[in-house]
Amino acid sequence: MKRRVFLQAGLAAGLAAGLPGCRFDGRSLFRPDIRIARPGMDTGHALRDRRALPPPGQPVSGEIRTEVAILGSGIAGLTAGWRLAREGFGDFVLVTGPEPFGNAAASRFGDVPCPTGAHYLPLPTAASIHVRTLLSEMKLADDAFAAAPDYDESALVHAPESRLWINGRWQEGVQPHHGIPPSEIAEQQRFYAYTESLKHHLGRDGRRLFEIPLALSSRDAEWRALDAENFAHWLARNGYTAPSLLWYLDYCCRDDFGTGLAHTSAWAGLHYFASRTGRARNGDDAAVLTWADGLNTPARHLLAAVTPQRTLAGSVVRVRERRDHVEALVWQNGRLIRIRARCAVIAMPLFVAGRVVEGLAGDGFDPSIHTPEHAPWLVANFAMDHFPSEKTGETLAWDNVVYQGKGLGYVVATHQLIRAARPERTVFTAYHALADGEPRDVRRWLAGASADELYDLAASDLAEVYGWKLARNAGAVEITLRGHAMPSPRPGFLGNAGTQALAAADGRLLFAHSDLSGYSVFEEAAWWGWRAAGRLLGT
Amino acid sequence: MLDRLLILSVFVVASCGLAYELIAGALASYLLGDSILQFSSIIGAYLFAMGIGSHLSQYVKDEDSLARFIDIELLVGLIGGLAALALFLVFSWLAAPFRTVLYALVLIIGTLVGMEIPLVMRVLNQRQAEFRELVSRVLTFDYLGALAVSLLFPLVLAPKLGLARAGLLFGICNVGVAIWTAYAFRRELPGLRAQLTRAFVVLALLVAGFAVADRLVQWSEKGLFGDEIVHAETTPYQRLVITRWHDDLRLHINGNLQFSSRDEFRYHEALVHPLMATLPWAKRVLVLGGGDGLAARELLKYKQIESVTLVDLDPAMTTLFATAPALTALNQGALKNPRVHVVNDDAGRWLENHDQVYDAVIVDFPDPSNFALGKLYSVPFYRLLKRHVAEHGAIVVQSTSPYFAPRSFWCIDATLKDAGFHTWPYHTYVPSFGEWGFIIAGAQPGYAPPERIPVPTRYLNPAAIRLMFDFPPDMQPPPGIQPNRLNTQSLVHYFEQDWRNVQR
Ligand SMILES: Cc1cc2nc3c(=O)[nH]c(=O)nc-3n(C[C@H](O)[C@H](O)[C@H](O)COP(=O)(O)OP(=O)(O)OC[C@H]3O[C@@H](n4cnc5c(N)ncnc54)[C@H](O)[C@@H]3O)c2cc1C
Repeated sequence: MKRRVFLQAGLAAGLAAGLPGCRFDGRSLFRPDIRIARPGMDTGHALRDRRALPPPGQPVSGEIRTEVAILGSGIAGLTAGWRLAREGFGDFVLVTGPEPFGNAAASRFGDVPCPTGAHYLPLPTAASIHVRTLLSEMKLADDAFAAAPDYDESALVHAPESRLWINGRWQEGVQPHHGIPPSEIAEQQRFYAYTESLKHHLGRDGRRLFEIPLALSSRDAEWRALDAENFAHWLARNGYTAPSLLWYLDYCCRDDFGTGLAHTSAWAGLHYFASRTGRARNGDDAAVLTWADGLNTPARHLLAAVTPQRTLAGSVVRVRERRDHVEALVWQNGRLIRIRARCAVIAMPLFVAGRVVEGLAGDGFDPSIHTPEHAPWLVANFAMDHFPSEKTGETLAWDNVVYQGKGLGYVVATHQLIRAARPERTVFTAYHALADGEPRDVRRWLAGASADELYDLAASDLAEVYGWKLARNAGAVEITLRGHAMPSPRPGFLGNAGTQALAAADGRLLFAHSDLSGYSVFEEAAWWGWRAAGRLLGT
Repeated sequence: MLDRLLILSVFVVASCGLAYELIAGALASYLLGDSILQFSSIIGAYLFAMGIGSHLSQYVKDEDSLARFIDIELLVGLIGGLAALALFLVFSWLAAPFRTVLYALVLIIGTLVGMEIPLVMRVLNQRQAEFRELVSRVLTFDYLGALAVSLLFPLVLAPKLGLARAGLLFGICNVGVAIWTAYAFRRELPGLRAQLTRAFVVLALLVAGFAVADRLVQWSEKGLFGDEIVHAETTPYQRLVITRWHDDLRLHINGNLQFSSRDEFRYHEALVHPLMATLPWAKRVLVLGGGDGLAARELLKYKQIESVTLVDLDPAMTTLFATAPALTALNQGALKNPRVHVVNDDAGRWLENHDQVYDAVIVDFPDPSNFALGKLYSVPFYRLLKRHVAEHGAIVVQSTSPYFAPRSFWCIDATLKDAGFHTWPYHTYVPSFGEWGFIIAGAQPGYAPPERIPVPTRYLNPAAIRLMFDFPPDMQPPPGIQPNRLNTQSLVHYFEQDWRNVQR
């Protein structure tokens, strides 16, 4: 019957009308618009290849003289500028680099902002004075230095906080328990009890074994020896074999470090569980602070203190230390600007600094040996025209994870809104730490992958949960590829003499970046910026 | 002549075939939402079933093809015609197997419809029509019928008749074709009489169905509510149903009773007067929720109140209560009163985006039965609200039942306290709800129940108000109640546990 053809054509036309922005090349009929962002890639590769930057023979078209040049606008650079400004030191310039806010950048669809990188801040430890100072200034905490401050509840993550898609249904929380045998649950509890007991354990030097900031952790050699071993090995050695526990720990490592258990230092793995001692009067110990656009909200607060007058857009192409000053060349939209500063804070990732800063080897950092391995990440923001329907009785949580999923789940940008009815539109942010295979190979794959391949990867968790409903509700997707997203604490990372040398540098060049910690979280990045500013201020 | 008649029936049959498919799709989108999914899966299933029908048609013997064609028309008319009505009934009485019934019906109707055209072609072929011409004529009329109905259905039939009656009308057309064909070919049909009898029985059934369809659809919704439905509407936010039984008007939102006109004055007087009678200077009042205008009606009794701002999420709700005569009689036209300003916005967003200060705020939200609504009873929400309350002003919050949901009630009290309010909880008896609770909260201490009520009331007097602030032993606060913090949303958990204990 030819009627069939007629009806099919009608169906296709109807779908086209209902799905604005969808393309008609067969396979991608049901796909939203895909936009791909590769922040920093062009600049980074140009610097690597020394092909284009700085362009040979390009004249310098302007000079800026300043006391301090902060080179990089990630959390570390911004924190340095914020602290200087806050303590009344105004003579500095902050160069943004190719990506303002770095891993704390954000995007927006209509009136819904969303993160393209970091999205939450755990409750700060007592030692995180820098973070507590910031939260207090942002009026996010009453009595920010108390043992358990009262945090602004609009920023404390709202219930339901997280859920896990396991065995075809949702359970509350990410630690697997639905359909998991009691013996595995007992093993999970044994592990958490152990790491809980480590939280207040002091090393022989009187410091907590695992502290945030990491640099303040105990130096006790007996415990530091764990850094020689990988976490998978340590777990096996200590009788942890339950698949559900191992999955969860692997998930945590991928989430915080960008690497799986087998490539993570056992010391770092334990640090993840035993370092967090922050508490809130009005929230669970595990509560976190979060905003629709993730950590871009605190990052913007930091930038506001830096002020636009002290901010310079552009990328540093060379840094030279002279006898009585530091000279930095900044490439800004086709022109070169020279900054002449008394001191500089190098707040860019070390794989860039290694190419830009001359004579790093003299400081004890050999880029070819000491640059930490960086893990690639993919962050995908799905602009949802409607909320996809949930199974009956299920409520969307802030963080939604798939057990044994390819990705790290997805976060809902509008979760923190205080509304009677949920908004019409939202954004789901799906995270993927690309931890399978060598980072180099993954980056090569990312460089060559088609939009459809990237979409398939980005959507894998969401597709498992919502099936083809996903494509019907997602109007557009922005995929952010971060080839060198974050340093991974591989076994031996604590012994990196190069990063230690840079952390200790105290001359005209100071260094501030999460790379110095060897792993990447807000508190670590901010710590190095805070400390660099402290040195400049002489405190 | 006879051939032409058959060709004409192809036109009708094709219209009906497409119509059932459209009705099933429209009905499924109407009841289940998600129209692209419903339409595409129904069209897919339907076409697939038609394929089965075409396949099955080969098993009909040549000499029977005319008789079977008539039988099939009757069956299609009966099942197709009654399908929409049946689905409405199934949906309201037995929500669970609705999809199963829907797809079963689509498959059955599709299979039958799939047999129609092959059989007609065979009948015509036996009558030695030229094959080339036959195919072309049959298909031409087939497609023409589809075109006709695809325009007629959305533009005329669905809006004028509704889905159930449109379905029945097409059923009647199918039976019409059956009768007409039987009559025209009476000489060639062996069991003519039996066939005609059957046809007329089906016809009578369909016509009767057509007559009562509207009432049945209403009944089917009444199955959910018990009383006669005077208004039903699905808005983007909720399903509003108003029922009447004698002089009792009731509003249900998503199936939950919001008020009964028999005793709503008890609720709304208790909500408004214990607070307002103590604020003779109050000029600007804010109402959050309360789109029925009943709290506004009580407020308007105070002559000194200059403006009442009413923020309700759903424009359909406020429009209904501003225009439907039975409802404006109930709220005495409060929503049309020049002192009342209706705002349709989400209360949370509206409070964030505005900074006016009010002398009193009446908070009349739905119960905290889910995480979204729970946010409107949280510490940050009350802190936000506090910024909109004058220094010596106060708020009153509908706070669920201190008898049935004691933990929820006292949790709301603890939450208001945590947000920096002084609180004065009270309760009263509303027959259609049972024991119900409210909380007055102010930035300053020192509330005392009013000595007199300066406006006319049906239920309250000062003595009755004083009694409401006394909580007998079985309504005392349970120990260890946590305020409703957004990080844990204890209230939603308390509310769930409380009502689980009540329901048997
Ligand atoms: C996907 C993802 C999710 C994360 N989620 C979280 C989270 O939820 N919570 C959390 O605490 N942490 C999270 N992190 C880690 C956190 O984002 C980082 O620790 C922190 O933002 C890093 O800040 P940074 O200043 O060390 O470096 P970066 O963010 O790497 O910033 C580097 C800066 O250097 C600049 N730069 C680069 N090249 C040059 C150049 N040639 N000249 C000048 N400037 C240059 C860049 O423009 C950029 O501004 C996440 C990280 C990623 C990648």
